[in-house]
Amino acid sequence: MTLLVSLVVATIFGSGCYLLLKGDLFRVVAGTVLISNAAVLTLIAAGFTRGAAPIRPFPQGSQVSDPLVQALALTALIIGFGVTALLLTVAFRVYASSRTVDLDQLSRMEASREDELEETED
Amino acid sequence: MLFLPLLIPWLAAIPLVLLDGRRKGVAWLAVGALAAHLAALAVLAVRVFAAGPQEAVTGEWPPGVGIVVRADALGMVFALLSSGVLLAALVHETVAGIEGRRFPAFVVFMAAGLTGLFLARDVFNFYVFFEVAMISAYALSTYGGQAREAGAAFVFAVVNLLGSFLFLLAVAGIYHQTGTLAMDGVTTGLATAAPNAALLIAVLVLVAFSVKLGLFPFHPWLPAVYIGARPAVAAILAGALANIGSYGVLRFGADVLPAQLRAGSVALVVLGSASIVYGAVQAIGRREAAEVLAYSTIGQVGYVFVAVGIGGAVGLAAAVLYAVVNGLNKALLFLSIDLRGWLVGAAFAVGAFSVVGVPPAAGFLGKVAMFQAGVEIGSVALVALIFLGGALSFLYMFQLYQSDFWAGTREVGRSAPRTRVVALALAVLVLGLGAWPEPLLAVSRDAAAALEGTRP
Repeated sequence: MTLLVSLVVATIFGSGCYLLLKGDLFRVVAGTVLISNAAVLTLIAAGFTRGAAPIRPFPQGSQVSDPLVQALALTALIIGFGVTALLLTVAFRVYASSRTVDLDQLSRMEASREDELEETED
Repeated sequence: MLFLPLLIPWLAAIPLVLLDGRRKGVAWLAVGALAAHLAALAVLAVRVFAAGPQEAVTGEWPPGVGIVVRADALGMVFALLSSGVLLAALVHETVAGIEGRRFPAFVVFMAAGLTGLFLARDVFNFYVFFEVAMISAYALSTYGGQAREAGAAFVFAVVNLLGSFLFLLAVAGIYHQTGTLAMDGVTTGLATAAPNAALLIAVLVLVAFSVKLGLFPFHPWLPAVYIGARPAVAAILAGALANIGSYGVLRFGADVLPAQLRAGSVALVVLGSASIVYGAVQAIGRREAAEVLAYSTIGQVGYVFVAVGIGGAVGLAAAVLYAVVNGLNKALLFLSIDLRGWLVGAAFAVGAFSVVGVPPAAGFLGKVAMFQAGVEIGSVALVALIFLGGALSFLYMFQLYQSDFWAGTREVGRSAPRTRVVALALAVLVLGLGAWPEPLLAVSRDAAAALEGTRP
């Protein structure tokens, strides 16, 4: 089970990194979403115990699964969700003010803006 | 009592988000909330320094079930510094005229996040408060609303999110290895854990905080963000938010993972030295004020890492002292770069002297503490490095001062006299701390003494 989860986490993390390296704002956001979920899965995997749902009254004699990691994962998911929303807003704002989502083109625009600034200074 | 400094900004920020921060009344309301928070923090700090650490558990649960909050000297020093810088930046921006609706609310939110982080005694709540502070910072970095700020904010958010996820992976590792998240339990738990796993966790934590601090190999996001952001936001990022990194390295390195810190102390010294030299050399080649200060920040955090790497009572006290002085310097310098006038020039010069380490500015104390730490371990190379770093910073700070203030080429910026108040007050504070150093030295000694790493 641990091996399976490790492979899944590795795949998700790797895909996230691949998307991060793409020159496109929204692919970068998707990449961070994948990486954040890889981290949450790792968090769940950190407390792997097989057992019944940890709800009172506990079943007699059998083990319950570790509830703490569930709580941690839930909190981390919410934080990840909020940050993703924020990131999408920022990405949209970049798009709205420059009409492109291509990172190379954005850095070219930034460079030409700096050149203009220097020319006006001289 | 212990929860008061945390609750004031938290409760104040929620209604503030709904109000329009561009209105003077709302902005001053935020200033009032932040001032009340700082006063509550000061009262708590006096208690901590007089009577030792204060501890409380939320909701009167038994410890281990409820969330434990603990104020010790180290946390208090960083909380006071961060909230002070936030208040200075908010007052500065309020006096000059706030341009964004949510600016005051997010500054107050960041105060809540940072205070929670400095008080948290378990690893996961540290992460949660860390995210509260970071999310406020992401929102603040869009302040100004132009394409340039939005682009900087995007880079800032993506890179620092990756840092946060690395920290989350470390939290997962800590829980897996020790079965606890309380900081005290983690130290004892990791002592019996597999050494490789413990070292891996330590490396993850170190990289996560290095990203926040913008240490040399993890720095590329930092100049882009500091140049793109408004000066008040850059002051907040460099003077308040970067404290997460310094505090994190001190707390996790010297308190939670002291054995791993000892194993990796050489790596910290090497990384810190590389950062000092790289930041200074890059800063010399730059002309724009924000750019010079951004690279200077990369160099200055290197000193904190070197001091933590040296360790022991002297090294850790030097790290605390250097982090405090650096936070004040950067707040002063960033707040004065969009102003003009000869008084601002004088304030900037005080900040520049402080970065270089010339008495009576407070930066002198930081440099002396670093020299002491270098002499303590008898390393000629380190003492030479600190001297070289100081000489290089003299070069770039006064190159900047000359081109920006002396030559009289500065035409941008606000010229209304009242906008200079905060920068001047910070300059007086930096001079005052340098002229009467005993309180700052005593406080940093106390802060270092709160750490596990100073005990033999």
